[in-house]
Amino acid sequence: MRNIFYIIFFIGVALHGQTKMNSAESATLKAKVKTKATTINTLLSDFTQYKHLDFLSKDIITSGKLAFKSPNMIKWEYITPFKYVVIFKNEKLFINDEGKKSNIDIGSNKMFKHLNTLIINSVKGDMFDENEFDITYYKEGVNSKVYFSPKDESFSKYIKAFHITFNVEGDVVELKMVEQSEDYTRIVFNNRKINTALSDAIFNQ
Amino acid sequence: MRYLISSFCLLFIACGSYPKKQNLQIQTTSNNMVQNPYFSDEIKDYVYKANIEVYDNNFSGIFIVKKLGDNHHRIVFTTEMGNKIFDFSFSKDAFKVNFIVEAMDKAILINILKKDFKTLIQEKLPVVKSYTLQDALVYETVLNNKKHFYYKTQQLNKIVRTKHGKKKVAFIFSEINDTIANQIKIEHSNIKLNINLKIFD
Repeated sequence: MRNIFYIIFFIGVALHGQTKMNSAESATLKAKVKTKATTINTLLSDFTQYKHLDFLSKDIITSGKLAFKSPNMIKWEYITPFKYVVIFKNEKLFINDEGKKSNIDIGSNKMFKHLNTLIINSVKGDMFDENEFDITYYKEGVNSKVYFSPKDESFSKYIKAFHITFNVEGDVVELKMVEQSEDYTRIVFNNRKINTALSDAIFNQ
Repeated sequence: MRYLISSFCLLFIACGSYPKKQNLQIQTTSNNMVQNPYFSDEIKDYVYKANIEVYDNNFSGIFIVKKLGDNHHRIVFTTEMGNKIFDFSFSKDAFKVNFIVEAMDKAILINILKKDFKTLIQEKLPVVKSYTLQDALVYETVLNNKKHFYYKTQQLNKIVRTKHGKKKVAFIFSEINDTIANQIKIEHSNIKLNINLKIFD
């Protein structure tokens, strides 16, 4: 009897880290994030990316800066351990790989267009599209965590789920993209600045 | 008739062996085995920034090699943002594609990459013949029924895969630091495929 008590107690403790939200809580979170997302005109943030491959002894860590300007300019700049910039702008993808520049026209590529929209939405946090994702809401301490699982099979082959962690204010603090294999890419955002003046020039290659 | 003789001569020159064409001097004393130390440590995660040029396409990303056991390696290539492009497992006699993006899922391409990476990670091979070239020792070996020549000065600097006496692929290791090659180039002579690897700092 005492053992059962302990087991139940420990299950309770283990689950305490992350609990499912009730529908009122999830509606509140969703409303908060959506409202917040509509007020974002520009966004600057530092990021650290952890690529987790199960067979490696350590995650591969890269870091840099992210810039976004509404409605659809976004720049990921990797600074360490290599310099690599990717800019999504005017339906084009501009790449600067340690000085080597190239660009890809994504206007005709549905997959890329889709990815671009998703990246912008995930940075703002607003991915609450129930036609596109199965969505589950969790509480994790003071933060909230939402799992977005793509319904489209050809897409879920690449990404099984996006896990987005929001702080109390409804800002995205972490984005995790989980692959079918359970390997994942986790991006942690720091020094987020919203609506500071950003010139278009910073989105030049 | 004269044409015939010159054709024979040409044929003879064209079919000359790789060591002859490269002026390699045969040597009698030799090692039994030649070693490639660059992906041989199970403790290490080998992580490189990579550039792959295939015809006019240029892919860049992160190239990862992990030794998981004897004759057992995993090789993964991802974009800078972490999306997997391909994921291969190599064991002694088996090869498995764990994942590959649709755009690259072509048997002919997979087969080329498989052969290249097999050479890259092969740790030990028996030496068939040994040669010298200036200050380098050159070891002739056989892998996948193809002659491979290992060039060694202080360290292993180059591997050349040949076919009918001609260079097909060169693996060039540079900026070597103990058992780590900081730069690796894989260059194909007959197709437009080059792979450049630069280690993460």
